[in-house]
Amino acid sequence: MLLVLLVCSATTALAQEKTVTGNVTDQLGLPLPGVNIVVSGTNTGTQSDFDGNYAIKASQGQTLVFSYLGQQDVRITVGTSSTINVQMQEDTEALEEVVVIGYGNQEERKIIQNVGIVKQEAIENLQVVSADQLLQGQSAGTQIVNSSGVLGSAAVIRVRGVNSINSGSQPLIVIDGVPITDTAGNTLNRGGNTGINPLSYVNPNDIESLTVLKDAGATSIYGSRGANGVILITTKKGRKNQKTTLTLDVSTQFTQSTDVPDILTADEFREFKAEVATIQNGATVTPEDLGLGAIGSGGTDWLDGVQHTGISQNYNLGIRGGGEKTTFFFGLDFQDTEGFIIGNTQQRQGARINIDTEVTEWLKAGMNLGITNNRLNRVGIENNTFAPFTTAFLQSPVIKAYDEEGNYAQSGSFIPNIFAIVDLDTDELKTFRVIGNAFTELSPFPGLTWRSEFGIDKLHLEEFLRSVDFNSPGGSAQQIFVNEDRWLTNQTLNYSNTFDEDHSLSVLVGLNYEETLRTRSNVSSTGFLTDDLRNLGSGSTPTVLNGDRFPSRLFGLFSRVSYDFKSKYLVEGSLRRDGSSRFGANNRFGYFWSAAAGWVLSEESFVQDLNFFDYLSIRASLGTVGNDRLGTFPSLGLFDAGAIADYNGQSGVIPSQPENPNLKWEESETLDVGFKSSFLDGRITLNATYFKKTTRDLLLNQNLPPQTGFVSISRNVGEMENSGLEFELGTVNIRKPNFEWRTNLNITTIDNQVLKLNEDAATDDDGRRIIDGPVQRAIEGESLNNFYLIRYIGVNPDTGDAEWLDIDGNVTTDPGSGDRVVTGSPLPDFSGGMTNTFKIHDFDLSVLMNYSYGNDVVIDGLRFADGNDAIGGIVNIRRQNLNFWRQTGDNSFLPSPTSSTFNLFNQRSSLQQLDASYLRIKNITLGYNVPEKTLDRIGGIFQGIRFYATATNLFTLKKSEMDGIDPEVTDDIDPLFQGESFFTAPQSKSLTLGARLTF
Amino acid sequence: MKISKLLIVFLSIPIIISCEDHLDVVPEDNVASNTVFGSLVTIDGAMVGVYSLNQSGDLNGNPQLMGDFMADDVKFVGSFPSLQEIRDYETLATNASIDNIWFDAYQLIGAANNIIANLPEVSAEDVVGLTEGTKTQLVGEAKFLRGLTYLTLVNLFAQPYQFSDGTNLGVPLVSEPFEGGDISDFQNERSTVNEVHSFIEQDLMDAVAALPETNGVRATSGAAKALLARLYLYREQWDQAADMANQVITSGVYTLASDYDFYDDNPESAENIFVAVNTPTDGPQESTGSDEVYVNFYNPAPGGRGDAPFSQDLIDAFAAEPGDRRFDELSQAATDAGGNDTFFTTKYPDVVNNASDGMILRITEMYLIRAEANLRNNTNVGDSPENDINLLRGRAGLPDLQMTIALDDILNERRKELCFEGHRRMDLLRNGLNLRPGGGAESAPGANKVIFPIVDDEINNNPNITQNPGNF
Repeated sequence: MLLVLLVCSATTALAQEKTVTGNVTDQLGLPLPGVNIVVSGTNTGTQSDFDGNYAIKASQGQTLVFSYLGQQDVRITVGTSSTINVQMQEDTEALEEVVVIGYGNQEERKIIQNVGIVKQEAIENLQVVSADQLLQGQSAGTQIVNSSGVLGSAAVIRVRGVNSINSGSQPLIVIDGVPITDTAGNTLNRGGNTGINPLSYVNPNDIESLTVLKDAGATSIYGSRGANGVILITTKKGRKNQKTTLTLDVSTQFTQSTDVPDILTADEFREFKAEVATIQNGATVTPEDLGLGAIGSGGTDWLDGVQHTGISQNYNLGIRGGGEKTTFFFGLDFQDTEGFIIGNTQQRQGARINIDTEVTEWLKAGMNLGITNNRLNRVGIENNTFAPFTTAFLQSPVIKAYDEEGNYAQSGSFIPNIFAIVDLDTDELKTFRVIGNAFTELSPFPGLTWRSEFGIDKLHLEEFLRSVDFNSPGGSAQQIFVNEDRWLTNQTLNYSNTFDEDHSLSVLVGLNYEETLRTRSNVSSTGFLTDDLRNLGSGSTPTVLNGDRFPSRLFGLFSRVSYDFKSKYLVEGSLRRDGSSRFGANNRFGYFWSAAAGWVLSEESFVQDLNFFDYLSIRASLGTVGNDRLGTFPSLGLFDAGAIADYNGQSGVIPSQPENPNLKWEESETLDVGFKSSFLDGRITLNATYFKKTTRDLLLNQNLPPQTGFVSISRNVGEMENSGLEFELGTVNIRKPNFEWRTNLNITTIDNQVLKLNEDAATDDDGRRIIDGPVQRAIEGESLNNFYLIRYIGVNPDTGDAEWLDIDGNVTTDPGSGDRVVTGSPLPDFSGGMTNTFKIHDFDLSVLMNYSYGNDVVIDGLRFADGNDAIGGIVNIRRQNLNFWRQTGDNSFLPSPTSSTFNLFNQRSSLQQLDASYLRIKNITLGYNVPEKTLDRIGGIFQGIRFYATATNLFTLKKSEMDGIDPEVTDDIDPLFQGESFFTAPQSKSLTLGARLTF
Repeated sequence: MKISKLLIVFLSIPIIISCEDHLDVVPEDNVASNTVFGSLVTIDGAMVGVYSLNQSGDLNGNPQLMGDFMADDVKFVGSFPSLQEIRDYETLATNASIDNIWFDAYQLIGAANNIIANLPEVSAEDVVGLTEGTKTQLVGEAKFLRGLTYLTLVNLFAQPYQFSDGTNLGVPLVSEPFEGGDISDFQNERSTVNEVHSFIEQDLMDAVAALPETNGVRATSGAAKALLARLYLYREQWDQAADMANQVITSGVYTLASDYDFYDDNPESAENIFVAVNTPTDGPQESTGSDEVYVNFYNPAPGGRGDAPFSQDLIDAFAAEPGDRRFDELSQAATDAGGNDTFFTTKYPDVVNNASDGMILRITEMYLIRAEANLRNNTNVGDSPENDINLLRGRAGLPDLQMTIALDDILNERRKELCFEGHRRMDLLRNGLNLRPGGGAESAPGANKVIFPIVDDEINNNPNITQNPGNF
């Protein structure tokens, strides 16, 4: 009987299906876009549009479920009316989102770790090429200095500054629970920091959120690898009970260089050289006398020739959906990118499958898998004669790139014909990477889950170089294969429960085991009969340069306990024990811990009575983390083999590294204190943090007595401190039904101080220990990075001499290396980012800026691009050099050609040190979402259509002395060389036009 | 529920237990010290490595060259400031060239110590193919090279025995390998020259007992005896010098070559007792610095630097007796780096592959030692000084000396025979002769800078070290 009734009513219901329309608003009555609306028990679903309007087919008696993150679900049974308007209420329980943290999730309101969260809302409309750009300017304490406009090269990412001197300072990157490898040196050095960006292996469109773990409370669960911070990347998952959506995004990008130095044309160069020589000789010297050819006899505009407008295409497909039990996300992307530097192109194909399923009530299983295939045509950068931009700056403009028949001509100097290099030579890097994991999650009883994860990170890399006879006599080829494979398992037991309503407890214990094996073979060959014989084997002299394997293993046990009382008083502690094959036998296992406490003041009645704060909490944490980037076998006594140890054709071994059984990780202790607040109905949020991070046991090379037979040994002896303030301010400036304007601003200050260097370190005149370099000097008691140069004053208008200051501050025309002093710092006083987003009707506009203030850079290449005599005077120079001293009173850039300082002028000094403060409009995106009415009119196949235009690096505010020079400088990833560059190829300026269709 | 819990526990245990054992990972690109003595191949490889270190230009090449630059056989015209300092007796403790010698010497000593200290502890039963005999021989080879290296050091960094009967300071003695522990054992003070010599003597006597008569290009008992003969000569222990030299000559293993072809990459010539073998394919022995210094410096351009031609004094010495095959066959006329027309030795001819061997010990030196020791001691061990010297003169195409031979005759013969092989400085110093013809106080025996200062790196890292007298 019942059955019959049910069937009947179902039949009736079907018969009475109609379109229900309505409007969804929040508790303030403002339209809520993006609310999920599903017909309960079916796959029918939709989302509210920008104005909060929706339309859905449903039958009388069915239930519509309205759900939106942070709002209480609303369930309404369809009655006779075809209009259902809904006002949703904030869900105080689930007000805050769940945030991904180390080995788990946490409600954002209950987080007492210091984490930087970049949510999907912040990034979904950001059009970027690689994931590091998603972080740029978005999170306080996270500094991302973009590499030059060269495709595929890595940005320098620092979480709370540099925490190491001789070991790596890059943060650990974890993609869906898999800590990925980021070995530098997997590819050939192309000048400067051209390591491959580890973040280029995840499609930015696949990313749901990024979490930057900053304080010890957050990172100590990563133990010996957490000291440089941890970036957790979570890729998109499906959502339950949601209509499957398909998003197709197609865009085209046009790329040019931002700003290049103004250098001389061929005739300017001839006139300059002739005039200088005439003054110096006291008799007329013509350009022909100097072998530069007659005025008007032509030359080459190298700078123009190495750049063009790069045209790139980007196709991206995402399919996302889910039923009652299983949710899924599929992603596909194809990028065909052309940089603005000739010869620099990249093709990337990526695919992703993320599936989660509930097998039973107590068992979940799933898999995340991302595959990337990349082909990059590389070009050199920085201090490298094969770098198009560097060489184009320096190559003499009178040299002709082509002979009279139009063939490439040899340049005749060690600076090659860069056009021929780029055009004829091959430098191709192919990478294939799979990063993924599979998991099961077992809940034997409510509150307890056992999650078992198995992950892999497999990187295969192949680089092929072939230089033709024209560029390398006889031709040369080189081929490198690198395989870097990691497999790991994470086993975690998590117990969460609430007792007596008020006591919440969460306990996590876990285990992490990782094996990594890097293998490399590097073979080169010379002596090719003809350029048509492309392959290595065709060369007459093959040489094996490297053939080696580097295994390492890590085993960690960890636990975290969180407790709160009434969500008001929160405490958390974590402990990790890490064992690593890299550590010495006497220090194989390290313990890392943290303790944190927080107080949600807005839960207290005396704060609630103020009727001001929506949310207010204070927190503090203290703990330790380690840095294990020490190399593969830093602690073992080693013998080297090969050419260095052979004798009379017999192979031998010689001692190469003394045993160092006490060697261990570098350890950072971080104190972190801060508050989070939200007031004026959530229109203003303000968070602030103070931190002090003391790193001990820094690895420094200690000289050994020569009688040991070794030069030095790494000892854990150094100490360094980073302290700073981080502010994040978010404001909703305007919130009206058709107009919204939000601003997010963040500011970070970091002070760095070297507390202790090794006892046998070199000392300066004041007896302070130092690490000295040609441009920088680290001084005990001061910052790790100080530019240490001779002070250049300028050209004396009366004498025409260039003048410097000696060590005592007196003017000199003949300074020496003893006159070096601290002249500047590559570390900014403060830096950060600002995002403004506007929504006006169907348009949205976001403007992302980043800035840095108070930092200097040293552009070493200016020693060549300024003055008259660098490399025998054969190189081109910047236009300001035309302004040389001719007569008394001249305010000139260059001294008099007859001055004794004329050739000293461009020696290394503060002349090459420039103020690199800048404010850059990094990304402007204007979007237009086609309104629903229009979508309906074109047949309703589309759920959404979005047109957008993105401009990057449109405008940079910087000092005039930086004309033609990019302020973001990353020549070297080495902490001791921050802010130094030879010539950074400029950043790219791009315009992207695209459309995103959602079905 | 209980079963689930049990399951979790039981499933987890194997993972935890198995993981701990996995943390001992062994390198594959290098050999860990604990595995070097694990197989016969790596044990022998460790010894080959010591020979390879001995091949370094800073141990066999530069020391000989620098000795020549300070003495009267070579006129150094090169542009290296560190070598000019040495030529001009102005060597500073910061001189990079002598720093390399000091470091490389103690590197070799450390590698030899590793074998000498650790190999006897290896049980022959644990390593397939390892016999007690092999162990003894390898330790003997290591001791020979250690003794050779200490002799190089003490000759360069300390005044010779004659300065104060060997009671003056020599160099620090280290006999244990550094294995990462306390560095204070490697901050030894300088032992006296007598102590260093007696350490070398013991090493060489052990080597004599441990080594076979023939051993390919590696050290032999004959080589150890020959080096002992040189040590005794330097110490004026005439009986023992003559005896050791005589033992080598009469061993029947070595014979005086009939011509001078043994220089040209011919290590197995019966003339040679021990050479540093350089081959075209053996690659660089150090990441910095050239190992083929003989070829580079002693040859004119192209191929060499043209830095170290004959001195006029040496040219005159040969000219005094025309027809000397050691000049006619072993020199070439060419232009030096300073643009002067002069003569260069051809003892290191392989400019193509930079692979000429370093001459360390050859039988001719034994005749010269026997002759000098017999003359000084008034004995005729083996043969008379006259016969020994005339034998060498005969090979050089010179007539026999008719009169009774004097010490100067032997030293002149020694000079013409062994020039460019690194002997001259010590021969002059130990005989109380000024390093430069007509030279002043700065080149006189016993002058502060006819020896090198202890290098800066040693001074800075060893509080127990004593610097040589003089302004360094």
